[in-house]
Amino acid sequence: MKKNLRHSSIFTYSKWFFAEKPIIYILLLTYLFITLLPLVWVLSTSFKSNEEAISLPPQFIPNNPTFENYLFVITEPHIMHSLFNSFIVSIGSTILSVAISALGGYAFARFQFKGKNILLSVILGLFMIPVLINIIPLYIMFSQVGLLNSLLGLVLTFQILIIPLNIFLLKSYFETIPRELEEAALIDGCSTLGVIRRITIPLSMPGFAIAAVLAFRFSWNEFILPIVLANRPDSMVFQVALYEFVSLYSIEWGYLTAGINIALIPILVLMLIFQKQMVKGLTLGAIRN
Amino acid sequence: MAKLKILITVYFAILSLFFISQMNLIPIIAQEEITLTAIFAEPKERWDMLLENATKILNDRHPDKTIKIDYRVLPYSDTRTQILTAMAGKTPIDLVSLDQIWLGEFAEAGFLSDLTANTQKWNKSSDWYVQNWEGGLYNNQVKGIWAWTDVRALWYWKDLLNQADINPNELENWSGYISASKKLKQFLQNDGIQGMHLVGAAHSPDMWYPYLWMLGGEILEQRDGHPTKQNYWYPTYNSDLGVKSLQFLKDQVDSGIKPQINHYWGQEFADKKFAVMLEGSWLLGQFDKNEWNTLEEKIGMIPMFPVPTTTSSNTTTSTLMGGWILSIPETSHNKELSWELLTIILEPNVLIPMLLQQGYLPTQKSIGEGQYAAKLKSTIPYYEELVSLISLGKGRPNIPEYPIVAEHIRNAIEQVYNGVDPKQALDEASKQSSKALGW
Amino acid sequence: MRLQNNRQKPWVGSSIVFIFLKFAYNRIELLILKRFEPYLFLLPSIIILFVFLFIPLIWNIYISLHDVSILTIIKEWNFVGLKNFYNIFSDSNFYNSVKVTLVFVCGSVLLQFGIGLVISLLLNQQVRASGLFRTLFIIPWTVSTVITGFSFKFLFDDSFGIINYGIEKLGLESIGWFSDPNLAIWIVIVANTWYGAPFTILFLTAGLLSINPTIYEAAIIDGATKFRRFFYITLPLLKSFILTNLILVTVWTINFFDLQLIMTNGGPLSSTTTMSLYMYKQAFEFGYFSEGAAVGILLIIMNIAVAFVYLKLFDVRNKNT
Repeated sequence: MKKNLRHSSIFTYSKWFFAEKPIIYILLLTYLFITLLPLVWVLSTSFKSNEEAISLPPQFIPNNPTFENYLFVITEPHIMHSLFNSFIVSIGSTILSVAISALGGYAFARFQFKGKNILLSVILGLFMIPVLINIIPLYIMFSQVGLLNSLLGLVLTFQILIIPLNIFLLKSYFETIPRELEEAALIDGCSTLGVIRRITIPLSMPGFAIAAVLAFRFSWNEFILPIVLANRPDSMVFQVALYEFVSLYSIEWGYLTAGINIALIPILVLMLIFQKQMVKGLTLGAIRN
Repeated sequence: MAKLKILITVYFAILSLFFISQMNLIPIIAQEEITLTAIFAEPKERWDMLLENATKILNDRHPDKTIKIDYRVLPYSDTRTQILTAMAGKTPIDLVSLDQIWLGEFAEAGFLSDLTANTQKWNKSSDWYVQNWEGGLYNNQVKGIWAWTDVRALWYWKDLLNQADINPNELENWSGYISASKKLKQFLQNDGIQGMHLVGAAHSPDMWYPYLWMLGGEILEQRDGHPTKQNYWYPTYNSDLGVKSLQFLKDQVDSGIKPQINHYWGQEFADKKFAVMLEGSWLLGQFDKNEWNTLEEKIGMIPMFPVPTTTSSNTTTSTLMGGWILSIPETSHNKELSWELLTIILEPNVLIPMLLQQGYLPTQKSIGEGQYAAKLKSTIPYYEELVSLISLGKGRPNIPEYPIVAEHIRNAIEQVYNGVDPKQALDEASKQSSKALGW
Repeated sequence: MRLQNNRQKPWVGSSIVFIFLKFAYNRIELLILKRFEPYLFLLPSIIILFVFLFIPLIWNIYISLHDVSILTIIKEWNFVGLKNFYNIFSDSNFYNSVKVTLVFVCGSVLLQFGIGLVISLLLNQQVRASGLFRTLFIIPWTVSTVITGFSFKFLFDDSFGIINYGIEKLGLESIGWFSDPNLAIWIVIVANTWYGAPFTILFLTAGLLSINPTIYEAAIIDGATKFRRFFYITLPLLKSFILTNLILVTVWTINFFDLQLIMTNGGPLSSTTTMSLYMYKQAFEFGYFSEGAAVGILLIIMNIAVAFVYLKLFDVRNKNT
């Protein structure tokens, strides 16, 4: 009964729309087709040789399917190393940003203090800054403290992409957890640490989940910042390595598409796993925005 | 209290992360290990070849050291950006490859170290072709060495021209070129092959300059009365000669030739997607090496850009000379060692195998015509004709503002491709250029 | 007996000190640390944002008021006041980029929002496998801009792109998507929509799910038609979600330049050069860092203005509900 109501249609019970359900499915499937077409095409091309990739007529199913593109990408130590770097940077940046944003969000949610609203507006305002204009100053700053071409430098820099958003997210999320719950537990003799551990965190898991996924996604996909700040082979991240696959001389579409598909795997897996939590997290998290 | 504990833990974790990452876990090495860093432009193979040999020789000369070369090979525009940001952040880089057009800019900015003293000791400057040597000078100082060059010429597939019943000589003048293109279009349309190639990519000015030059025009001229510098360069590419030469490009477009936005540096010609292409001598590198000895039968080459007319006054053709300059940045900590590496790369026994592999042309007379020329002559197709073009070739201006001026010209060409009148487009561009030049 | 006494004394002494310290510490904690607790919680965020975002911003303002170009970057930077802004405002390419930005942002935001809204509404009906649909729809957003750019460049290529192949199969002439100045920007908009719509879908789905279905039940009993239900129930309840979504998407689109760079490099005829790309080119292709910084500052002002406009449009009162 509850499930039925949850997906209660604003169209049901309407008398004159018989063909409505099929239309909905047609529209959805059409959009699905458009959404997946580029990706399917990229997947298909990744199994073609470089020559076949740009030959006419284009085939959906390769004439001579080959794994050589993937082999090439995987056996390039440079590329695999950059993949590894991407992992480290993304995971590190996720952990850091979730920790920091949780602290910050909690402070905004639970405390009253001077300058609270100003600080909030400032953080929101900082979010309006286009990332690009920070590149040269950051570059010069980094070069002076030796953070250039370091994974740590990247982890720290990526925070600017994520923290404002995550603070808001987690703040809203914490606000939805009734204070009474925490206070009740305190009264019952639980220590404050225990409260946080047993009540606040478990209840905010969806919020943490989406904060983590967002952080990972922004870090994994970023390429403008690393291209300037960390361009040595040993500190390069995957998106940059992919971009440099394309030389002015010719785009090796076979290799490129293979690399693209490899780059997709981690983030797709993550999204699939956390899909339910994300929606839940956004629901409760964004209400108070 | 508990919250505080969490705080402290978080801070501690962050701090320890920071310290761990800063720790150097490299063991002490007995021998002095030096790593030279370099930024080069693609393609990668040529640098791999050069540096493999050069590093070995350098290490042999210094048994007390272990020298490694850590080089990054980047796409063209990224090379410029990377060198720029490295210099801005004072990152030590030991060797860079520069497109000849960046030299003025980078030298004026103070990025490049002065190699004059080194070259005097080296005493090889006389072996260089004059234009190539001067291309590495700025304010009478040697800021870079032009390592190899290329010239642009007219290439065609012999069988396709035969099919369309076209005599290659027709391509040599403007009207013949256009009528040939129409004939080719008719014949080859169904095969999916295009007749003439026309550059619509970022380097389109490079393919226009030869027409400007062969009429006697110039891109820039020195003039007096400059607001700050007394006399300086002034754009003259919008002169009548400029308009006339640009009109030829417009005629090509009007006759049905499509400007190509993407450029594959000769690959499209090697793949027989075009019957005729004006392209640099690097085009040879796009063909399989084992095809080279039979290449002259299949591919024809005319060492020229089409001239206005071949009947009356001999308009001498012209072409653009390109290539790469090697420089040592001012931020390098190993200038002497880098200089040595540079000279080794330019030594015939290191350079020639690479030239043979890629089809590049040398900037040193001894390789181009002298003692080493024989090997090149017998391997590289059309070698002697290409070398003969070097004397007819010009380089682009060496001044700091050139890259910006080139962008204005590129815009003008693009507008003309889209139907704008050449005089209007060029006048607009030159207005912007003169502003950029400080007038 | 004496030995025991001797051994016990240090214990006593140290335990007295220990208790005293604990007491003192608790006092200190109460007086000082408790008061500053919220600030301490916020400290890491503030430090990072200050160092990596705020200081570069100040630096940028500084750069925009001085003469910083590739030629002067390692030399002296002369103060030139508002000259850089003047240079930009007298550059016709700048005005072109403003025009392109308007087209790009309006097109992208409208398309993204429109499609996002429609799809999330459709998904909210009793659709089977809506979870599966949703998962698949999110995929474009997980893809990086590098991948999106190259994929669409590949799809729409003149010679070997599958779109043109499909068109030719239908008997029509293939279209030069990227060589037509009037068309190219729309391809970039399409790519941007493909890339950004999932975010709107996600956001609005969350919003729709937060609406209590009993409200609809009540409305249906009262005899409301579906259009009335949509406009008088759904939309108002979604207001805060829509507002947040629009602000985020608009600001992100204004700052965005990856796709323009990768797919068309601003061409043809600068028809895809948005202000953000113009800024990039000024700084990194021409080496005019000051002008680039100046454009950046203009972009920030634009973003803040946009946010204000949205807030005003949506009636700020609702935001605080």
